Amino acid sequence: MKRYWHEFILGGLLVALLVVAGVTDAGFVKPATQLELSTHVWELALLALPMTLIIITAGIDLSVGSTMALCAVVLGLTYEAHVPIWLCAALAVLTGLAAGALNGVFVAKVRVHPLIVTLATLSAYRGIAEGISLGRPISGFPDSFAWIGQGTLGGFPIPGVIFAGAAIVFGVLLSRSVIGRALYAMGHNETASRYSGLPVDRIKLLIYSLSGAMAGLAAVLFVARRNTAKADIGAGMELDVITAVVLGGTSIFGGRGRILGTVLGVLLIHETREFVSWRWNNDELILVVVGALLIAAVLINTVVTGLKRTE
Amino acid sequence: MKKTRQALQVLAQRREYGLLALLVLTVTVVTAINPVFLSATNIRDMLVQCVPGAIIGCGLTFVILTGEIDISMGSLMGLLAAVVGLLTTSEHLGLPVAAGVALTLLLGASVGFINGFLVTVGRVPSIIVTLGMLTALRGVTDLLMGGQWITGLPAGLRFLGVGTVAGVRVSLWTAALAVVAAILLARETPLGRRIYAVGSNPQAARMAGLSVRRLKLFVFTLTGFLVGVATVVSVPQLSTIESGIGVGLELFVVTAVVVGGTSISGGKGTIIGTLLGVLLLGIVRTVLIFLNLGVHMVYWEGAIQGGFILVAVLVDHFARRREE
Repeated sequence: MKRYWHEFILGGLLVALLVVAGVTDAGFVKPATQLELSTHVWELALLALPMTLIIITAGIDLSVGSTMALCAVVLGLTYEAHVPIWLCAALAVLTGLAAGALNGVFVAKVRVHPLIVTLATLSAYRGIAEGISLGRPISGFPDSFAWIGQGTLGGFPIPGVIFAGAAIVFGVLLSRSVIGRALYAMGHNETASRYSGLPVDRIKLLIYSLSGAMAGLAAVLFVARRNTAKADIGAGMELDVITAVVLGGTSIFGGRGRILGTVLGVLLIHETREFVSWRWNNDELILVVVGALLIAAVLINTVVTGLKRTE
Repeated sequence: MKKTRQALQVLAQRREYGLLALLVLTVTVVTAINPVFLSATNIRDMLVQCVPGAIIGCGLTFVILTGEIDISMGSLMGLLAAVVGLLTTSEHLGLPVAAGVALTLLLGASVGFINGFLVTVGRVPSIIVTLGMLTALRGVTDLLMGGQWITGLPAGLRFLGVGTVAGVRVSLWTAALAVVAAILLARETPLGRRIYAVGSNPQAARMAGLSVRRLKLFVFTLTGFLVGVATVVSVPQLSTIESGIGVGLELFVVTAVVVGGTSISGGKGTIIGTLLGVLLLGIVRTVLIFLNLGVHMVYWEGAIQGGFILVAVLVDHFARRREE
């Protein structure tokens, strides 16, 4: 039980929020409303999964929002060049994979701090997206493609079904696989992990590539939902994703974190945002609340666990 | 020990020489293609564009030297721009310019202090604290401005943005002063040496009796203060204050500091390097325009700036490997 106290606190906050919302704004907690509002969260949720793995190894990926933009633009430009739409989608995911792999090579092989590498590619990938698309929006995708972003499967939105599947895969990978154990070991002590014969570099390459590929998938869903591909999509997304993961209890110093916590972190941020926007119709207030929530959550976390900080 | 220090110094210097060479090369090539690039007006414009980066970069260099990070500068600048506007315009509070500026600088330093306090006493990682601030301060700014632009800035405030002293813009004098002061602080004062000491080996620094906590509080507060300085000399260049001032500035400054050779893990780096990094990245857009490669080239600015960091880290990597 004690192991899961952070998840309990998040769950408690989430329930409290929904109860308050149910009392003050009954319309907000209706399933139909919630399903409608959920369309805003899936890309963020998908990106939070690989980010959890990366932060557990004490790494970070700031480039996810820009990678999304690059993949969306690739999707749009290839479609304009009369490539079949599903092949375009596959190319977008592959672009993401390649972008993530480049991050991975710099982190694992060149041994540069991931903050620096992905800060560089944060600029570079969006720059390339702007350069090749000249900043113009591309639209006019077929209806069959819009289905993956807007359609439902058994009453559930398709992006939600994809996320649920991905969350289970990532959860199992992290908590039940050899690679999952290796991620925690790397986050605790990378040097020791290397000496124990863990393929540290290969695992890093894998998780950064995975992060890129998920950004590609998120881009496909985003374009399908909005029917537009432009180089400015996903701007600032990296910060939302990191906020959700850290709020979910993953330590920014590595070695600690779970997919369940990340899912709750994503939900809490999403519901807080949507409620503030529903009740006060005020986007500025959302920023203040989310920023304060992040600092408060980590502050409480450090105070309660009395985590010894390595300085 | 002495040998390693000498080797490190040479390496750090080499980065600065490399940057300087790249800067000179860029300027020479662009001038050869388009001589207007080196006209007095264009040089002034490019330098003025670099002012916020240079001033804030001084503070951030110290923060990164202690092994911490601050990514809240852009949002803080947005907030301080709104605050200085609201305090001094007659439409709002209409305080005297000097009082408005002083309060703005105080607020900047206070936010920096809060960052530092949460990092040192609250033990929240600096990337989290300043990420939270980045988000929250942007929201506070938008709430304060309420979607309206602030217009009718008083003449005194406008002077800080566009006025000249001895033929040179006030903002350039201010940036020069900040850079010189930062260099002196880093190289000639015990405080500067302590900041390096804390970054290169916090444990040893603590055992030597240095208060790591107080030094970190100082560098965060200094950075907040410098964001205030950068705000009051750069924002009044225009006659209106709109929302969205400083968006993305944190990334520009962090990039410039890192390209300038400051190690992200602390203890190594110089103000001169940061200044060169700011100049190099700051002129990319102008260079793209002056190269006459067509309007569309401007879209590649981000890609080129990102490419600079990757090249810088690759050069570092191979320089290190050769030495080993």
